[in-house]
Amino acid sequence: MGKIADRVAEAWALAGGVLLLGIMAVTSVNAGAFALDRVARLAGASVAGLPGYEDFVRLAIASAACMFLPLCQRRRGHVAVDLFADLLSPGLQRALDRAWLVATALLALFLCYWMVLGMLETRADNGLSRILGWQEWPFYLPGVLSLLLWAVIAALQAREAAPPDV
Amino acid sequence: MFERETIGLLGVGVLFLLLMLRVPVGLAMIAVGVGGNYALSLAAPYLKFEPYLKQFKTLLWGTVANYELSVVPLFILMGFLASHARLSADLFQGLNALVGRFRGGVAMAAIGACAGFGAVCGSSLATASTMGKVALPELQRLQYAPRLATGTLAAGGTLGILIPPSVALVIYAIIVEASIIDMFQAAIIPGLIAVLLFVLVIALQVRLNPALAPQTGRQTAENRRAALLRLIPVLTIFGAIILGLGLGLFTPTPAAAVGATIILLYGLGLRVRNRDAGIGLIGMRSAFLDTAVTSGMIYFILFGAEVLKGFFARAGLPAAMAAWTGGSGIDPWVILLAVLAILILLGCFMDSLAMILVVIPFFWPALIDLNGGGFVNAETAAFGMTTDEMKIWFGIIALVVVELGLITPPVGLNVFIISALADNVRMREVFAGVMPFFAVELLRIALLLAVPSLCLFLPALLSG
Repeated sequence: MGKIADRVAEAWALAGGVLLLGIMAVTSVNAGAFALDRVARLAGASVAGLPGYEDFVRLAIASAACMFLPLCQRRRGHVAVDLFADLLSPGLQRALDRAWLVATALLALFLCYWMVLGMLETRADNGLSRILGWQEWPFYLPGVLSLLLWAVIAALQAREAAPPDV
Repeated sequence: MFERETIGLLGVGVLFLLLMLRVPVGLAMIAVGVGGNYALSLAAPYLKFEPYLKQFKTLLWGTVANYELSVVPLFILMGFLASHARLSADLFQGLNALVGRFRGGVAMAAIGACAGFGAVCGSSLATASTMGKVALPELQRLQYAPRLATGTLAAGGTLGILIPPSVALVIYAIIVEASIIDMFQAAIIPGLIAVLLFVLVIALQVRLNPALAPQTGRQTAENRRAALLRLIPVLTIFGAIILGLGLGLFTPTPAAAVGATIILLYGLGLRVRNRDAGIGLIGMRSAFLDTAVTSGMIYFILFGAEVLKGFFARAGLPAAMAAWTGGSGIDPWVILLAVLAILILLGCFMDSLAMILVVIPFFWPALIDLNGGGFVNAETAAFGMTTDEMKIWFGIIALVVVELGLITPPVGLNVFIISALADNVRMREVFAGVMPFFAVELLRIALLLAVPSLCLFLPALLSG
């Protein structure tokens, strides 16, 4: 189960990485056009940038950021302060760890629920990005799926953290 | 029934209790934010809970769908790509070819490489880890004293948080609504001062005790030429990013995106020429996955901070804090020093980014009020500067202090990282090695407090 979770979380994060690559490509083209425009202006010409590039970056980074959350959970990447808890007994540490994993799963479900409502509301309101005029609600979908995956991974980790006799 | 402010203060206490119980920082912030708002709705019925909850429809989306914050994963990716393309190793070996033949020169080269790599990577922990892996074996091979070798790398790693482009500077700028470019420009001189002081510390130590760093022989001309040739593209890429940002030639997101693209293409090009060099598919995959983990961690804390900020604001805590400090009659400088002392203390056990996100929004309104309010002019202000100048000055000093936490006993996270890399060196020895650097860091803080123009000069000059 853990290996499947690993693979799904990695594939999902890599899909977010593809969005990051898209941002790099679009931004590099836009920055190149900006530089060319500066040169072309000397000759009285102009080079147009990519209209709505900031819109694209905003929408793509929102999806990518959410898609990174499950892998971060899978690899226990969310920072916590270890100093004081290390002084507790191993059994108590394990119990606390498990409790926080359950809490994380519940939090991810809580956020997922509200994000679904936000997505439906944005769709009903016909929310569009400012310059590109794209519908914004489909970009909530990766977020919703990411939060679900995050919840599943945290729940699996809570199960893995349970003592063998439970 | 409790007052709003009392509930806010209780929330701060619960937050620290949860942090001590190893609750992930983001989760603790959200739990206190939501729980605190529920408590507020019971204490003050006009602060209804249900409308507050409805904010969550768009709160997470609003936090992540932020053009300015897109710079964070891009800079992180740039750092991981640079690491996989072995630019960090090229940088260290190139600098080593230049200064390594002097006594202590390899340690000085490590400081230079930490500054250069830290600039591109923007994270102190990643800088310490990467440069530790690159430079520690060389320092050990040359029989540098373990104390000097590990102390240098742990301290050198702290340079990453300040030298632009820095993720921490971006996040600080967003919190206090300062210009990111101004912050980058302001960080250049304090960052260079740190490099200079660290190099002087090494020079002084090896002068007083030459056994710390044996004299190394001059490299062969061929090795030296090869190392210097590899240094050229690294300096060109790193220099273009740092200077371009510092001089305001481009804004942070394009700089990060173009920088990451160039490093990726450079790494792929190296791989095409030599199968053992550059970035292959496995390296790329690894860089993207590492970026996902680090960025996921930062976004979670950012979102947690957003929720917590909402609770503090509804509890009226920042305003109450500002009113208290303003009416207390305590000298503003004493309060500023107390805030910095709190940052150093918290830095001993808290992640630097989490610290910036928890503490700065809490203290910032009080500091503004102490200075004379948001629209004060420099002549009448308590700290002798406008609010915009104060944003820059306090931000730089706060980050230097946060850096200090990374090497402050008993916890210093950079010390942990270097100690883990140097199996045969005890933690106590690493801390002993860090102490001279710690001392000059205190000196740097005193300098920046006494001479604000060290931070304010470049932004003023470059903005005309």
